[in-house]
Parts: sequence; structure tokens; C-alpha cells
Amino acid sequence: MNQSRDPRPSQRFSAEAGEPGEAEASASSPDPRPTETFDAELTSRPLADEPPGVGEQALEASLARPRRRRWGLLTLLSGTLGLGAVEAASTLYAASLGGNWLAGAWSLLLLLALALGGSALARELWRLRRLRRHDRLRERLEALPEAAPKEAHATAESLRRCLDLDDDHPHWQGFLAARQAHHDGRDTQLLLDHHLLAPRDREASRLISRMSGETAIMVAVSPLTLVDMALVAWRSLAMIDRLCRLYGLELGYPGRVRLLRSVLYQMAFAGATEMAGDAGMQMLSMNLAGRLSTRAAQGMGVGLLSARLGLRTQRLTRPMPFPEESLPRLGDLRRELWQQLRRLEADLDRTA
Amino acid sequence: MRQPLARELQDLLERGRDRQLRLAVTGLSRSGKTAFLTSLVNQLRHAGLEARLDLLPAARQGRLLGARRVSQQDLSVPRFPYDQAMAALAETPPRWPEPTRGISELRLMLRYRPAKRGWLAGETRQLTLDLFDYPGEWLLDLPLLAHDFSSWCHSQQALAGEQRRAHFAAWHSAVDDLDPAGEADEAQLARIAERYAEGLLSAREAGFADLQPGRFLLPGDLAGAPVLQFFPLPGLSAADPAGLAALPPGSNFATLARRFHHYQQHIVKPFYRDHFRRFDRQIVLVDLLGALNAGPERFEDLSRALANLMQSFDYGRRSLLSRLFAPRIDRLAIAATKADHVTPEQHPRLVALLEALLAEPLKDLRFASVPVRALSLAAIRASEAREVEHRGQRTPALRAVGLDGEPLLLFPGEVPERLPDAAFWTRQGFSYPSFRPLPLEGGALPHIRMDTALDWLIGDKLQ
Repeated sequence: MNQSRDPRPSQRFSAEAGEPGEAEASASSPDPRPTETFDAELTSRPLADEPPGVGEQALEASLARPRRRRWGLLTLLSGTLGLGAVEAASTLYAASLGGNWLAGAWSLLLLLALALGGSALARELWRLRRLRRHDRLRERLEALPEAAPKEAHATAESLRRCLDLDDDHPHWQGFLAARQAHHDGRDTQLLLDHHLLAPRDREASRLISRMSGETAIMVAVSPLTLVDMALVAWRSLAMIDRLCRLYGLELGYPGRVRLLRSVLYQMAFAGATEMAGDAGMQMLSMNLAGRLSTRAAQGMGVGLLSARLGLRTQRLTRPMPFPEESLPRLGDLRRELWQQLRRLEADLDRTA
Repeated sequence: MRQPLARELQDLLERGRDRQLRLAVTGLSRSGKTAFLTSLVNQLRHAGLEARLDLLPAARQGRLLGARRVSQQDLSVPRFPYDQAMAALAETPPRWPEPTRGISELRLMLRYRPAKRGWLAGETRQLTLDLFDYPGEWLLDLPLLAHDFSSWCHSQQALAGEQRRAHFAAWHSAVDDLDPAGEADEAQLARIAERYAEGLLSAREAGFADLQPGRFLLPGDLAGAPVLQFFPLPGLSAADPAGLAALPPGSNFATLARRFHHYQQHIVKPFYRDHFRRFDRQIVLVDLLGALNAGPERFEDLSRALANLMQSFDYGRRSLLSRLFAPRIDRLAIAATKADHVTPEQHPRLVALLEALLAEPLKDLRFASVPVRALSLAAIRASEAREVEHRGQRTPALRAVGLDGEPLLLFPGEVPERLPDAAFWTRQGFSYPSFRPLPLEGGALPHIRMDTALDWLIGDKLQ
């Protein structure tokens, strides 16, 4: 039973008397196609059957989060608001005719509330649109190396408007002076990076270092955990807001939430290796921080986290991706933070 | 040629620290070497002040402090005539610098602030840049080193295109009745060699580039010496090599072969040894527009000449040891010069054509894993890019002054991305006009992409 099967004996096949299966196989793979010549004038088109990118787009679309539009909710909401407004207006009209002043005042108040709410909503939508426009500008700036010179100049112009520089701003003038007729898109990108964005970058990194230092100190001196949490949330949001404004983005509430979400998403999932490096540095500095008091160490940790949040935000909101060699790193900020806390502790020791 | 030991030691030290670069500016005659060097010195001299070198990061960030000409290594070689060239450009009306007729050297000391300060480095650092200029005609002698007389005759014969042959008609008729085995007659050989030199000269006038030997075109102090009285023997490929080698020393063949050997050993080799062996970076300048103007046969000729030429240089990665004892070119730029003679939107096509022209050497370089960058540049810009409204269409144009002083506003024509077919040449051909340099307005010379070229060639040493 448990015998191994014998090796198959030799078998000869003759060309004439093939097995039925074999005949079928040869029928299914016919002779190679003979030569066929076409008229040289016949129209032909390139072999590429599918424009490249379609597949990628489809893949991206299928990988992205499903887009949900709450049409029902939207209809209900807008219907209620619209009908309410009509109702209020008609009541107001009837009241003005009938002399029922109280009902008229109520409906006026309702109308006012609706107008206020509507305008707030419109403003938020407008800001969201700005966010989207900023995204488009980013895309255009990224595609700059392939752009024609004229197109490149138009993009530069819109970056100038986005950064809110006027025509005689020295940075813009510097860019104009450096720009030559023969520069292609890549050159323009380099020049824009240097003349318009590099000054903002310096400002941004100063801002991050200062604000994360402040957060660290506040956490270090605050007595209550709850206060700590509130402080961190408040300062982080403020920092994100100011960084955005630096790079020409004015954010409404949803925009801010969206940005914060993508920042956190980035911090959690993107660049795992870099995070490992960062974390290593962080561990090291925590080790250093162990030599401080517990509270200062806590401040250090929070400060580092906040600085990292700031750097991520900067990377996300900067209209052009950072060139590889000038990517701001956490290590540069760490030392400053450390020194700030050391100074603080020395001060505290002296007063205590 | 011997230098004091101390100086040599210092150079060795500088090379070891990688603070000294030798830049090869390679180009056939009329390709714009002198203009390139003049502009290079001018731009670096004005760096940090008026020079617009925005695509060179060290200059853009204000770290490049400038450059100064310092006394060169070898005192027996004339200094590069920078002041004369600038004077020519400053004349009214301005004119292009004189073509080079001899070897000259130049040493530039660049001073810059490093981007990141090291432990031992001071506030500023220095980089020495060695440059030298030479007649482009002589450059074509370098491939001669790989030949002996009979293989050279063979290779020269392979070149003979129809138009090229026409320039050598007088020489052909003279050399045809010369018997290689016959007794050498000095006067006869001198006469035929003279015909040959005349043929070379007229071929150069017509735009051919692959012309050997180079000293025949520009003999310098060798004019009339017997070493310049040789020429290839056309019918040699049919004869058997052993029979030729057995010919008596007094025969025509042996005499010519001896002179060829002497030329190779005592003229080309020292030139190569003294000036061409030690290079770290190279830029190959090619006058593509001139070649297009001249026609397809001359274009092929240029391509062949450059391919031969680039085999004479050592390419490869550098290390400390190789830097000290056997320098190699570890980075190379190939540049289509006179880019100001076409409108800016044609520049990418100019680069594509250049890459097509140098396709074979580029493959070798890629194999040697040497980074190469192709670009188009104008060392001294002689035109201004404009736009005109013509028949309801906006079209790019150039504003410049022609060589005869006539103001021009024109579209010089498109540049093909690859060499067009024969039918096109008979139908249309190319005629890019030449311009006179723009009047000097103080400050640095106007240029196109000198900063990109500088960044590629020396930018990594200015970090």
C-alpha cells in the first residue's frame, strides 16, 4: 500500500499515430502566421492601447477612502433652512400687515440667525476652496520642471499671490532679477525655492522652535495634567494656524481639522524609517532629559512632539516639496529645546 | 618643465585635500574655447557682485566670494590673455577675442564660505582651478597616439567623402605617382606635404573638423621643419605589411613612417603628457550650429572627430590615490556652444541633437559610470531674446547685431532634434547667422547657462 510508484517506463511516440489528446493540442496551437504585407499608405496607429496613467488613476481611486456624500442629510438640512427662511419672511410680512410686532420681531431674529449661519457656512466653504486652490498650486509647482517657460512664469506669479507678496517686495524683485529668458521650468523652480520660499522656511523654523520651546516650558511648569493636555492642544493648533498663514494658507475650522488629520496621519504612517530615526533621537534626548527633573523631562518630551508636529505641518503646507538636502530635521531643533529647558531649570533652582 | 620640489609637494598636498581641480576645456577650433575661458574668469571674478550666477548654489546663497588670478604653476607657459580678450570685447564696436594660436595657462583661486563649517576649517575656504587654452587644431593630434604609420594611412583613407576629397585633389594627383618603395626625394616629399597642408587648410575653411595632423594647420615654430613633411600614403592598404616593413630605410615609405613616428613621439606625446594627462573635470564644447550650417558631410566629420578625441582622456571614478598619482576625469559636461544664436525654446532641441552627435562616446562614458551632463550655453551672450507679432502670430525672435554691424531682429530657424535626411539638405539646409558681441556695460559679461555649467563642473567642491 505504501509503495512508492514505479518510475514511468519509456514511451515512444510516432508522428503518424498520435493520441487523440495530442491531435487536439496541435489543433489548438495552429501554425505560425505567415507573412502579410500591408500597403505602406494604410493608416496605422501606435501600439500603445491604453494611455498611461489610466490604470494608476483607477488604482488610486480604488485605494482611496470611499467618498461619501450625504446627499439625504444635505437635502434635509438645506430644505429645513430654506423653508424656515421662507416661513420667517412670510410671517414677517404678515406681521407687518397685521401689526403683530412680537411675532414679527421673532421672525426677524430668526432671519438674522439664518443669515449669520449662512454667511459663516459660506466663509468656511470659501476657505475650503482656498485650500483646494492651494493644493492645485502645489501640483502645478511640482510639475514645473516639465512646464514651458511661459507657463512657469504664470505659476511663479500665482505663487507670489499665494504668499501675499506685492510687486516691489524685495524677494519677488530678487526672483525677477535672477530670472532669464532661457531658464526652463526646473531652473525657475530652483529660483522660486531660493528667492520666495527659503525666507519663509527660515521664519517657519524659527516659529516652530520658539513655539515648541514655549509649549515645553509651559508643560514643565504647569501643575495639572488636565491643564497640560489643554495647553498642548491649544498651542499645537495655534502653531499649525500660524505656519499655514506663513505659507499663504488661511484655514477655516474644517480645513484646520482636515490638515491636522492629515498631519497626524502622516506622523503615524508615512516615513516609518524616518520616524524610527527620529524616535531614536528622541530616546536619546529623553535619556538626557532624565538628568533633568521629571517635570522638565515631561516638558522636553512634549516639546519634541510639538516640534515634530510643526515640521510635519511645514512639510505639508509648503507649496513646494523641500529639496532633499535642505529638509528641516528634528535634530536641529532638539538642541535649542534642550538649552531652553536647561536654562529654565537653572532659573528655577536659583529661585528655589 | 621641472618644478621646484616644494611647489610640487604643495600641489600634491592640495590635490590630496581635493582643493585643486584641473578643468579640461576641450573643443575643436572655432568651438568657443577662448570665449568660454574669458567668460569663466569674468563670471568668477564678478561672483557675489554683478555676475548673475543664480543656478550655481554657492553664488546664489552668497557664499562664493570671488576669484583671483594667481601665478601659475609652470612659468614657461604664457598666461591666458584674459585682458586682451576683455579689451577686444570692450572696443567700439566690440569684437570677438582673437583665436588662440598657442598654449596658455591660467590658475584661478576661488574663495568661498563653506555651507557647513567643519571642525578644522576656517571661515573661508579656497579652491584652486587650473585652466588652459590651446589651439583646437592641435587637439586632433591626440588620437594619433593610438596609430602607427600604416594604420594611420588606412584610417585617413576611410575618411574620404566626396566633398572632402575635392579639397585634396591637388595632393591626390601629386601623391598618386609616388612609389612607396622608391628612393626618397626630399624636395618631392616636401612638395607633396605642402599640397597636403594646403588641402587641410582649405578643408578647414570649408568647415571640416577631423583634420590630422593638427600642426600642419597651425605649425607654430615648426614651420618648414622636416618633421612636418609627411602625409598618408593612399594606396597602402593593398600592399602587404611585411613587405612594407622590409623596405630599405631610404625608401619613401620608411622616410614617411620615420617622420610620422618622430611627430608622434616628440610633438604629440609631450603635448599630451604636459597638458592633457591630469584632468579632473572636463567640458567638451561643440559648435553644433556651425556644423549644421556647413552641411551633412561635415556634421558626420565632426561627430567622428569628437568620438576619436574623447578616447584620449581617462575617465573613471576618483579616489585619494588616483587623485594624487593618476588623475582621472570623474565628471564631464558636453555643451553646445553659441546657444544665443537660436531662440530659447530651441535649446532643448539643441541638447537633443548634441546627444545624438555624441551618442557613441556617451555610451562608453556610461559604461565607465562617469556622470555626464549635456547642456547648451553661450559663454558670452550676443543676442537678446524677444517676441514679435508677425502675421497675427506671436513668434520668438532674437535682437542682435550682425558681424557687419547691421542691426538684426530675426528668428534664426529651428534646430532639428536629429540630423535630417538628405532630401532636406537639398531642399532647405540651415543658415544660422553670426552675431557681434553686445557692447560691454560694465559688470559681468552676459551669458546663457554658464552658471549651470559651473555648477556641474565645480559646484560639488564649493559645498
